[in-house]
Amino acid sequence: MSEDLLRIDDLHVSFSTRRGLVEAVRGVTLTVKAGEMLGLVGESGSGKSVTGFATTRLLDAAGRVTGGKILFRGQDVTKLRGDDLRQLQGAAMSMIFQNPRAALNPIRAIGLQIADAILTHKRISKDAARAEALELLRAVQIRDPEARMNAYPHELSGGMCQRVMIAIAISCNPALLIADEPTTGLDVTTQKVVMDLLAEIAAARGMATILITHDLGLAARYCRRIAVMERGRIVEEASPKTLFRAPQHAYTKRLVAASPTATSRIEDLVTEEERERTAAVVSKPRPVPAHGTPPLLEVRKLAKRFDQGSAAVADFSMTIAGGESVGLVGESGSGKSTTSRMICRLIDPSEGDIVFDGQSIGHVAARDFHRSRFRKDIQMVFQDPNESLNPRYTAFDCIAHPLMRLDGMRGGEALRKRVEECAERVGLPLDLLPRFPHQLSGGQKARVGIARAIACRPRLLVLDEPTAALDVSVQAVVLQLLDRLRRENDIALLFVSHDLNVVRMLCDRTIVLRNGGIVEQGESRALFDNPKTDYTRKLVEAIPHIETGPALAAAL
Amino acid sequence: MLSYILRRIVATLPVMAIVALFVFSLLYIAPGDPAVVIAGDQASPEDVERIRQSLGLDRPFLIQFGSWVWRILHGDLGTSIFTNLPVSTMIGQRLGPTLSLMMVTLLLTIVVAVPLGVVAAWKAGSFIDRAIMAFAVFGFSLPVFVVGYVLAYIFALELEWLPVQGYTPITQGFWPWLQNLILPAVALGCVYIALIARITRATMLEVLQQDYIRTARAKGMGQGGILFIHALKNAAVPIVTVIGIGIALLIGGAVVTESVFAIPGLGRLTIDAILRRDYPVIQGIVLLFSFVYVLVNLMIDVTYTLVDPRIRY
Repeated sequence: MSEDLLRIDDLHVSFSTRRGLVEAVRGVTLTVKAGEMLGLVGESGSGKSVTGFATTRLLDAAGRVTGGKILFRGQDVTKLRGDDLRQLQGAAMSMIFQNPRAALNPIRAIGLQIADAILTHKRISKDAARAEALELLRAVQIRDPEARMNAYPHELSGGMCQRVMIAIAISCNPALLIADEPTTGLDVTTQKVVMDLLAEIAAARGMATILITHDLGLAARYCRRIAVMERGRIVEEASPKTLFRAPQHAYTKRLVAASPTATSRIEDLVTEEERERTAAVVSKPRPVPAHGTPPLLEVRKLAKRFDQGSAAVADFSMTIAGGESVGLVGESGSGKSTTSRMICRLIDPSEGDIVFDGQSIGHVAARDFHRSRFRKDIQMVFQDPNESLNPRYTAFDCIAHPLMRLDGMRGGEALRKRVEECAERVGLPLDLLPRFPHQLSGGQKARVGIARAIACRPRLLVLDEPTAALDVSVQAVVLQLLDRLRRENDIALLFVSHDLNVVRMLCDRTIVLRNGGIVEQGESRALFDNPKTDYTRKLVEAIPHIETGPALAAAL
Repeated sequence: MLSYILRRIVATLPVMAIVALFVFSLLYIAPGDPAVVIAGDQASPEDVERIRQSLGLDRPFLIQFGSWVWRILHGDLGTSIFTNLPVSTMIGQRLGPTLSLMMVTLLLTIVVAVPLGVVAAWKAGSFIDRAIMAFAVFGFSLPVFVVGYVLAYIFALELEWLPVQGYTPITQGFWPWLQNLILPAVALGCVYIALIARITRATMLEVLQQDYIRTARAKGMGQGGILFIHALKNAAVPIVTVIGIGIALLIGGAVVTESVFAIPGLGRLTIDAILRRDYPVIQGIVLLFSFVYVLVNLMIDVTYTLVDPRIRY
C-alpha cells in the first residue's frame, strides 16, 4: 500500500459568528495519494471550500479547527506555526481560487507576482526569479509570455488570469495543489482549456490535486475518485462511474439527478419520488402557437456600437412567438447580454428596430421606456440574485415596487393580495415576504427576482443567466418553475445563458452568438445533436459530459 | 501622461480665475467705502482720497479687476499699504519658514501616521489597535494652540531640550533649523496624524479582506511582505487623497502655530495684514494659498496614475 500524501482525519471546523459558533465541517475524513486527482463535490455551504482552506491553513480569522488532524506527509498541518507553516504554504502545498482576477493583486505586474512566490521559497537573485517566472508563463501556455510579464490582471481575460494563478501555484513544484472552483465563472470552452492544462501539468509533475467544485460533470471528467460533501460531512465516496450509475446516498441521488446532462429533460431534474409530486403540472401540454399569428417580438438588423467604434452586436435579427422559449448562447464577449438588454430596452440600439406586438419600440429611448405601456409586458430577470435585489428592500417591497410603478397600485389590501399571489406562483413561502435579501437563501432570492419580474404579468420575460449563481439543485427547481410559468401563463422566454445543457432543456429554439453576430440557429435539440458550424461543435464538446469522464481519466 | 498634465494645468485656469475674482472682490464685499475701510478710523479726508487715488478705486470695478489681473500676470502683486513694500517681496521673505514648517509636518505625519494605521489594521481588535485609535481620538480633539503651549512648556521650559520659540533659516545649518521646527511640527501635525492613521487603518482593513491577500498568504509570504508589498500600495489611493486634503488643514493650522511659536512666516503675515487691513497683502496671500492648493490637487491626481495602473487619463 502506497503512503498517503494527505490524510484528513475526523476534521471539525467552526466559525464564530454573531449568532455564536457555527460548525462548517463536522468530521471529514479523506485521503489523497501522491499524484492523484480527487474531486470534492458539494453545493454551497457544504464545507468543501472550508476543508480546502483548513488544509492550506488559509481559514479566515473567524474560522478555527476544533477537532481532528490534517496529516501532510505525516506532519499535522493544524499544529504548524510561523516559519514551519510558511515553508509549507506555496512550496509543498498550494492553492488556486475561484474568481482568478480578484485573486491577483490588481496593481502589481503578473511577472512580479509569480516571482514573489519563487523568492519567498528560494534563495535566488531577482533576475533568476524573473527568468523562472517567464518559464512558468510558458508552461501554462500563455501566448507572448515576455510581453505578458509586465501586464496587469485587468489587461488579461479571466482564463488567462487563472493560468497565471496556476503558474504561481506550481512555481515551487508543490506535491499537492488544491483547486477551489478553478473554472466557475469562466466560459465552457475556457473551462475546458484551463482544466485540460491543469490535468496535464498535474500529471507531468506528479502533483496530487484536490478539485473542489459544485459541478459533478466536471469532477467526473477529470477525477478518478469523487467525494460528495453535504452539510460538513462526506456522504459518499466513489468512482465517477459508480456515482452516476448507482448513487447510494439520498443526497448524491438528488445531486446526480439535478445535474443537467446532454440528454436530460426538465422533468428529469428531480429524483423519482419528488417527480410524482409535481407530475400533475409537468404533464400539461405545451401550447402550440397557431400558424399565421404574428410574432410577439420581432428584432430586425439590430446593432450596437460602443464608443470605440467596434460593434458589440451587428445585424442581429430574430423573432419570438407568444409562449415560445428561445435560448441565446455564446461565450463572454459574444454580445448576448448586450442584445438582451437592447430587447429589454435598458440600452439603446445603434441601428435596427425592435417590434413588439406589432409596434416599433426600438426608437423609444431607453431612458424613457419606463413610461411606455410595453414596460409591463417586457420584464427581466437578472443574473445574480444576490446583487440584483436592493439590500434595503424586503421581499415584499421588491415584488410590490413594479406593481406600484407600472400597475398604478397604491398599497393597502389589494397590493398585498397581488404580492402574495405572485409569491405563491413562484413557490415562495408567504412568511418570507417581510425578510430582507440577506436573510434569504440563494434559491429564495432567485424566486423573489422572478416574482418581481412576473408581478405585472409580462408577455415576454428576458432572463440573463438566471441560474449561473445558483447550486444545481436550486437551479433544477428554478428551471422547473420557469417552465411551469411559461406553460401556465403563456409567457415567452428569452433565455440568455452560457450553459448549453440548460438551454437545451428549457428552450424550443436556440441562437448561437459569436463576436456579436449569429453563427447558427435552429430547433434546440437538432442544433445541439448536429451542430453545423465548428464553433457550435466546440461549445457542445466543451461541456463536461459525464459519459466521457472515465475514458478521459483513464487516458491520463 | 504629459498631455494629461498639460490639460489639467489648463483646466486649473478657470478655477484660478474664479479665485482671483473672489479675492479681488474681498475689498468690496466688506461693508462701506473700501478707501475709508483701508484708511482706518483716524484718517483725514485727504488720506482717504490719497488711498482712493493710489488704488484706483475711483475707476469702474471691471477695469480695476482687469488691470489688477494684468499686473498679477506680470508678477506684480501690488504694494503694501502699511509698509509700502511690494507684496511679492513681503511674501518672499515669509515663504521660507512656512514652507519649512509644512514640509517637516508633512514628513513627520506620513512617517508616523501610516505605520500606525498599518499596525492598527494588522492587529485589528487587539489592545494595540485600540490604543492607537484612542490616541487618534485624543489627537483629534486637542486644538493646536493647546498642544503647542503644553509642548513648549514641557520640552522647552522644563526640560530645556528645544528652543521655546523662533526660527533659524536652513542656511545657518540643518540642526538649528530643525530644532526650531520640531515642536511646532508636532503641535501642528497632531490632528493630521490622527486623521491619516484612521484613514490608513480603515483602508487597510478593507484591502486585507481582498482575495489577492489570501493569494499572497497562500504563496507563503511573510506578514511584512503582505502588508507592505501587497496591501499598502493598494490602499494608497484613498490615503494619498486624504493627505492632499489635509494640506488645506495644514495651511489653516500654520497660521495659529506660527503665532504660538513666533515663527516669522506667512501665517503671521496673514494675521498682521488682516489686523492692519492691508488688503493688497491679504489678496496676495489668499491667491498664493489657493494656487498651492490647486497645485497639490494636480499632484495627487498624477500620483494616482503612478500607484494604480488601472487609472488612465
